Amino acid sequence: MNIKTEFSLSVLQKRLFAVVLAITFLFCIFLGRFLYIQLVWEDTLHYRALDQWTREIPVNAGRGVIVDRNGELLAGNRAGYGVYARASAVEDPASAARLLSRELGTDYQTIYEKLSDRSKSEIVLARRTTKEVVAALAENEVKGVYYSRNDERVYPYGALASQVIGFTAYDRSGTTGVEGYYNRYLAGENGQILFETDLVGVDLEGASAAYIPATDGLNVRLTLDYRIQALTEEVMARAYETNCAKAARAVVLDPNDFSVLAMVNLPSYDLNKIPRDDMDLLNALSRNALVSDVYEPGSTFKIVTAAADIEECLKGNPDALDPMTYVFSSARTRTVDGTTIKCWSDHKSGKHANQTLAEALNNSCNPCFVDIALALGKDTFYDYLAAFRFGRATGIDFSGESIGMLLPESTLRDCDFARIGFGQSIAVTPLQLACAAASAVNGGNYYAPRIVEEIFSADGAVREKMKPALMGKTVSEQTSRILSGMLEGVVRDGSGKKAYIDGYRVAGKTGTAQKYENGAIAQGKYVSSFIGYFPANAPRYLALVIIDEPQGSYYGSTVAAPCAREIFEGIIRMFDIPEVES
Amino acid sequence: MGKSNREAGRGDVLFLAAVILLAAFGVVAVYSASSYNAEVQYGDSLYFFKKQLIGFVLGLAAIVGIAFLDYRKLKKLGIPALILSLVLLALVFIPGVGRTNYGATRWIGVGPVTVQPSEIAKYGFVLFTARYFAKDPARMRTFKGILPVIGAGAAICVLIMLEPNMSVTMCVGALMIGMIFLGGVSKKALGVICVPALLLVPVLIVMEPYRLQRLSAFMDPWASPKEEGYQLIQSLYALANGKLFGTGLFASRQKYRFLPFAESDFILSVIAEETGFMGVLLLFALIGFIVWRGFLIANRCDNFYGYMLAAGITLAFAIQASLNALVVSGCIPPTGLPLPLVSAGNTSLVVTMAGMGLVYNVSRHNERKNFIGYTK
Repeated sequence: MNIKTEFSLSVLQKRLFAVVLAITFLFCIFLGRFLYIQLVWEDTLHYRALDQWTREIPVNAGRGVIVDRNGELLAGNRAGYGVYARASAVEDPASAARLLSRELGTDYQTIYEKLSDRSKSEIVLARRTTKEVVAALAENEVKGVYYSRNDERVYPYGALASQVIGFTAYDRSGTTGVEGYYNRYLAGENGQILFETDLVGVDLEGASAAYIPATDGLNVRLTLDYRIQALTEEVMARAYETNCAKAARAVVLDPNDFSVLAMVNLPSYDLNKIPRDDMDLLNALSRNALVSDVYEPGSTFKIVTAAADIEECLKGNPDALDPMTYVFSSARTRTVDGTTIKCWSDHKSGKHANQTLAEALNNSCNPCFVDIALALGKDTFYDYLAAFRFGRATGIDFSGESIGMLLPESTLRDCDFARIGFGQSIAVTPLQLACAAASAVNGGNYYAPRIVEEIFSADGAVREKMKPALMGKTVSEQTSRILSGMLEGVVRDGSGKKAYIDGYRVAGKTGTAQKYENGAIAQGKYVSSFIGYFPANAPRYLALVIIDEPQGSYYGSTVAAPCAREIFEGIIRMFDIPEVES
Repeated sequence: MGKSNREAGRGDVLFLAAVILLAAFGVVAVYSASSYNAEVQYGDSLYFFKKQLIGFVLGLAAIVGIAFLDYRKLKKLGIPALILSLVLLALVFIPGVGRTNYGATRWIGVGPVTVQPSEIAKYGFVLFTARYFAKDPARMRTFKGILPVIGAGAAICVLIMLEPNMSVTMCVGALMIGMIFLGGVSKKALGVICVPALLLVPVLIVMEPYRLQRLSAFMDPWASPKEEGYQLIQSLYALANGKLFGTGLFASRQKYRFLPFAESDFILSVIAEETGFMGVLLLFALIGFIVWRGFLIANRCDNFYGYMLAAGITLAFAIQASLNALVVSGCIPPTGLPLPLVSAGNTSLVVTMAGMGLVYNVSRHNERKNFIGYTK
């Protein structure tokens, strides 16, 4: 029985055609996708794939050394080697483990298990061992065992300048100080030995290892002089102990280009015995407070107030008080905004009477500097604060610099403004103050302070020179000369007498600041300081000495000034500096 | 039925040659993709190669055996084939018989021999459907008429889905709709089938959380490079390494155990790596040629049964090849689906070659004229 179907030829052919079209369409989609992946996306994907096709043994770069300005080694390396194995490449785990356990002094069973565990690719057998051990191992040429340089960082002077030099992490990358800030030079670039392997790290047959050599790091020369550093540390350590102080700090600068010669923060710690398991202690000890911490400077700040007044007077500002002829009121107190500001001295029986600016500096008489600040006015005075870079970074090549705390001019009350005149109600870093003073007496040039002199390679060639960078002018040369003459007087006749060295024209200013805690004066807590330099006519060395919370005597004149003298005397002996005529 | 018209001719030899060439290439590709892994896992780099070679020889035997039958005698097999398929699929779930691999029970095993019933079920469905429609093409006209086909397809789908094997389920679903469409069913009836089927896809995806994970991994494989995204990333790396001309035969880098299922579901990745985009283009030219000739054979067939048989088998092949390529190139989420005739896996190879032999058989009985209109 024939059944005539209702289906025409054309319907089925059309359907077939439609299916062929649909399949062609699908083909076009995935072929287009293949085209895109294989010819366009290829580059990115291939780059990612490369990573999984190889296993690597590290080749560590030698870390650059840190030396002082004369080439004395401050941070170096002791040769060490890491021992690694690639279990999948070890042919005879038992004999290899016997040899390794003998030479490394580790347990045979542990090493044998490590070498037999093929699920792991790269195994660390010893993180750091000596050259002798590696030489002994290398003689036996164990297949699948590799050695890679892994030096130990050593600091020949231990605690010397520890906060400046800083330290490295376990992976030998610099964390703090110069080690951290200049890590990009010191670190160098690690190399690798690359092995072509399968998914689990088994070497491919016939594939050879690719050796990518390491590039050693560059060396860093500091502006620091380790002799001055050692001398200053010795002086400050004595002061730290005799005064039972909370801390003792000092910075020694070359006022001609602001290169840092010494930076001392006590208490300190040995860089070879870093207390890594006590993070709070480590953070406290490794902090370079001279750069990172602020304090109310007190009377040492009067250098800035005096400099501003002299400069304004020379410029012909009628509000400025003439540094030569103006005689300050002899009253002990000033009343500003209803608050009373007293002099530290009682002004009885002719003390602090009829003073000129020079005498006001000698006596460190607070009311006189209140008068100056108020006479100059906030606008002018804040211009000088900005020029001396208070509330701004000095630009030192060191991490974690604080900019200090400056009350905003727009909301500044007169009573606070008046106190800024003698260095209270303002917080600065010691480095800011030292730099401001240096520029006030060096002819008015403010440079960015520097810790690093240059970067040089192993062959001694200089790769980068850190030149002095002039940040701006603070005062004129004439102002500088006048001010310096007055500060010389402070040491010769005034509160700075204990820093006097016969024949060397030492100049300076003392400071005794009360400490504030939670907004109120902390009874019995002072910061005693002295900022000094010599010779006054052409300054070569400038030192800021800070004794934090001395017990007993607390005046800057008696606690800090002698330290500066000892430092200067030491420098004079060290470099055999001849006397200058006065 | 006039005997004069039934003389068997030489048939479409080019079609047959293309099929055998592709399968032979598959044997080589399996060797290349599997040798390293075979050495590591079985201590014999030829492990998969030997198996595939056996499959290839069995496949050739199947082609020879089937080519000289009269395919119209297979009409009788319509219902038994469907029953056999369903029984085999059900056997998977019997403990001790079913074999579980990679979290799915897709195989049945007797001693060392394992068989993947879903590969057989595809062709069982084609045999059944061709027979069912050929017996009374008028069945096409009504929805009721095509219901048994949908029932058979749905039964197979459900059993495969339970394994679970989403991709093969989708294959069978697409094959079912494709065959009903090729059979000439009215557009209205087609709509009644297609709409619910399409609606079912998102439901199935949401039902199993792992499918959703794979779906998101496919959007951004690097979001989970060690888990869901791993397979696709490795496939992409292989493709990228191949560039235009490939790394050269046997020079795949990804086959060193980076690419999972390199010899089976992802063999196309290795081929693309070793022979480049040009190789992929040539491979799909060959596959496209087989599909085109297969449909041509269907088109030239003088009876409805032969037409449905040839078109159905060719369609199954085309769908599976396309889905595999879409997976490998990351157009759709990764699923376990072999590249027919090429991927390692003997059930698939032998059954597909046998199916292709059947299509060739149809071509041998075709007359020169283009005519489809009578049945029986």
